[in-house]
Amino acid sequence: MAIRVGVDVVHISRMRRLLDQQPGLRTELFTSGERRTCGERRNGVGRLAARFAAKEAVLKAFGTGIGPRMRWIDVEIVTGALGRPSVQLYGEVAAVSARRGTQEIDVSLSHTGDVAVANAVVVTSPPDRPGEEEPSCCSS
Amino acid sequence: MTVAKDQVFDAVSSALVDALGVDEDEVVGSATLLGDLEAESIDLLDILFRLERSLGVKIAASDLAEHVQGGISEEEFGTPEGVVSDVGLAQLARVMPQIDVEKLRGSLPAEDVMGLFTVDNLVSLVEARVGAAAAA
Repeated sequence: MAIRVGVDVVHISRMRRLLDQQPGLRTELFTSGERRTCGERRNGVGRLAARFAAKEAVLKAFGTGIGPRMRWIDVEIVTGALGRPSVQLYGEVAAVSARRGTQEIDVSLSHTGDVAVANAVVVTSPPDRPGEEEPSCCSS
Repeated sequence: MTVAKDQVFDAVSSALVDALGVDEDEVVGSATLLGDLEAESIDLLDILFRLERSLGVKIAASDLAEHVQGGISEEEFGTPEGVVSDVGLAQLARVMPQIDVEKLRGSLPAEDVMGLFTVDNLVSLVEARVGAAAAA
């Protein structure tokens, strides 16, 4: 088992400017669920910035960043009924996650003032490789 | 439309200066984007948008890694231990001619590859995209 962490910080004003400048960016970066969750809330851009930071934090924990064929919407930050965020993966990111033997991903998000921050923890258990055996232990 | 390499370099330099707030004299061909110029992923979105506006070519953030990996699968590009394989290094030598392949053989973590990506490498990618767009 291995534990990897990732963290990312985003300036909310920067995210706001980019979203204003590039009309298509909102759908390129965020799923419809994320846009719906954040768009209807106060400081929606701050919440979107935190979700972008969370996506980047997850990709950093995988050690890939935004890799080949990956889309930002392949990492979705889903908000539970009590506000706890969780991660749903799709497409190439899900494929990379499977190859890494991901067992669990947890994220934490926050934003205040002009800063949004997120960290991610990825627990992996690499798939067994043919011919490899677990080291023996604990014999009495 | 034909765009000279100097024009592409100027457009890249201008995008980096504006997006990253770095001085123009820091934007030299050998400077690495993520290391020397300290670009983050949101910076890349900004840089690529500025290049789209100035040169008319759309490049996605994931295209940078795609360009570097050259269509080689993750399994072939790196070893199970996460080190760039000989196949991966041969690909890197094509798109990042500045790297010393022999020095890196067997010791370059795959997750460190994008940290080697320089201004010149970005200029080459943009130049290829501009050329492809002009030929289409």
